[in-house]
Amino acid sequence: MENPARRIAINFGGGYVPGLNSVVTGVVLAASQLGWEVVGIRDGFDGLLFPDRYPEGGLVTLTPTLVENLAGAGGCILGTAARSDPFHVRTINAENMVEEVDRSDELLGVIQKEKIDTVISVVGARALSILWKLSRKGLKTVCVPKSVENDVAATMLSFGFNSGLSFVADMLERCRQAAQSARRVGVVEVLGEHAGWLALQAGMAVCADAVLIPEIPYDLRKVALKLREKATAGRGFGLVVVAEGAKPLAGLGGAAKTLDAPMKAALSPGAAGGESFHVMDRSGQAAAEVALEIQRLTDQETTPLVLGQLAKGGTPTVVDRQLGLGYGAGAVRALEAGRSGVMVVFQPPDLKFVPMNEAINQVRTVPADSELIHIARALGISLGD
Amino acid sequence: MSNQHVSTRAPTGLVLNIQHFCTHDGPGIRTTVFLKGCSLRCKWCSNPESIHLKPELAYNPRKCIGEKECGFCLKDVCPESALYAVGSGDRPDDKVRVNWDLCTNCGRCVPVCPTHALTLFGQEMTVDQVLEEVEQDGSFYRESGGGMTVSGGECLLQADFLAALLAEAHRRGINTAIETASNVPWDFMAKVLPHVDTVLHDIKLTDPERHKRWCGADNTRIRANLKRAYETFPDTKFIARTPVIPGVNDDEEHIRATLAFIKPYKNVIDYELLPYHRFGEGKYEFLGAVYEMQDFTSPSPETLKRLREIIDEAFGRPTQAR
Repeated sequence: MENPARRIAINFGGGYVPGLNSVVTGVVLAASQLGWEVVGIRDGFDGLLFPDRYPEGGLVTLTPTLVENLAGAGGCILGTAARSDPFHVRTINAENMVEEVDRSDELLGVIQKEKIDTVISVVGARALSILWKLSRKGLKTVCVPKSVENDVAATMLSFGFNSGLSFVADMLERCRQAAQSARRVGVVEVLGEHAGWLALQAGMAVCADAVLIPEIPYDLRKVALKLREKATAGRGFGLVVVAEGAKPLAGLGGAAKTLDAPMKAALSPGAAGGESFHVMDRSGQAAAEVALEIQRLTDQETTPLVLGQLAKGGTPTVVDRQLGLGYGAGAVRALEAGRSGVMVVFQPPDLKFVPMNEAINQVRTVPADSELIHIARALGISLGD
Repeated sequence: MSNQHVSTRAPTGLVLNIQHFCTHDGPGIRTTVFLKGCSLRCKWCSNPESIHLKPELAYNPRKCIGEKECGFCLKDVCPESALYAVGSGDRPDDKVRVNWDLCTNCGRCVPVCPTHALTLFGQEMTVDQVLEEVEQDGSFYRESGGGMTVSGGECLLQADFLAALLAEAHRRGINTAIETASNVPWDFMAKVLPHVDTVLHDIKLTDPERHKRWCGADNTRIRANLKRAYETFPDTKFIARTPVIPGVNDDEEHIRATLAFIKPYKNVIDYELLPYHRFGEGKYEFLGAVYEMQDFTSPSPETLKRLREIIDEAFGRPTQAR
């Protein structure tokens, strides 16, 4: 197939996960084999939208020499933009008033002016929707899924998950030993707003006493029963892993029951719900609620601990390095094959390309009949049901 | 290009809510009319649904009964495919979800939602429609010395409508007040203030750079506007207010700087402190927004007492029991 010289760009939307640099390396090495030029856009699309913020330039030319030792490094050489959205860019207008303006057309113009042929974008769920909108407006793009929670649909394994899993399992092991030493029940919260893969697999790896995931509403009386049996047997400590999105069975409110707040309701229409409830960033809330309720039900002292965002930092495992390199090289292969508007997905043993919109509004959750669920139950791990 | 129409509007206004029996928005018992649209983006905003000057979709997942029981909104209603469901319909979290990045606030999903989990914030109302509702409380105003307060958002963004509303209220004998942050062109203030009895205005931070950091824009125009307003409208009462946010502006320096700013003007009759609260927090999820003040708490009673003592001393009055 004929492959004329091309200039492609790579950027990152959303938060950090281990392995971002591996993708950069994969893209640069694969593109250099084809004689293509690769530039990195700094901080999502900010490098193009706000050039004034980057005295050294919002675009970074990426060469094989530059990425020589990069694949195993943590962080991201290009930075990411956690909440960057070219359709709603917060701006101060000429009247000093703040407003959100749509700069998507301007962004597409800059991309064209920079002679960037295609943008390879590494995205989580939110950045995927924004990229999809840009794609519908004409941006040629191939995207790569990233997720520490492994909740991106269409792919079996997002890069970042394996590193997060290794970190969480290591921390759980330490927490269990600390709990054993202090004769307490450790309640550890891990990422997983909609999908419990991280909690389930890490909890299984360390044989936790209980694992609570969003897919299975929990009844803490069941967990308490197991912990009390253990205490009766002279082992008065425990380890409970709770995904941040885990919820009690309907009708069984946790320790922090939802209360209607009349004052809040009065402030404006639709403003129902108790203080601190239904907050987008619920970090720590699940651990606090479960720990308090377990202490109440077992009379054993509990210690809540939140690992949360820590799982998104650090260096990638070998699995994630391979995946990152593979996804990067796969994205270039998609371009070589003339594809655009697709996501590179890993469906073992193949890397495939699926239309981006097939992954939008989809969450990869743990099925009730998953083999992992059966194994957890076989190991005697309580799932709170 | 701009999403936010910051020009003046008439003859209708985009009203968020009309709230009755308010006791903290000016003298006596008052009815507060909240207008939509704001020219700042304070991180602690307790009314995020008031920020944008356009109708906005809000989704309360607690009212949603899910795809299995209902699912009307999932049946080709949304032109952007922004509504979706996850799960099999038998778990507590099996509610409809909104992809806020695809939603365009068109509101087509609102009429099909039987439980009002999907609602639209903001409706166009005429002056007469607003006053009809406000006047239902007429007897309370007369007895308590109250009236109508227009708040927001930034009510001055809809200057033409606001001026018309206040003028008509005055004509009907209703006392008027506005709550404003004053980050608008002077013309907007000049148009509205002749019809206002009491102006409750924020002074959030004194340092321009810090003001920009926490509120989205600096306070140069605000200070210029306020000085000009104090001088241009000597018969109007002004009350300065600071929302007290721990770690942001709960220091003596800010209070003393504010006092130095307002004290030369006799028509600034008071300076109030509004302790930060998190009542607005839950509403951010309804709008798909991210609340950035997770780590902040309300100011302690001791801090408030200490700061209020400084204010009372400046106004030459004994410390008030609150």
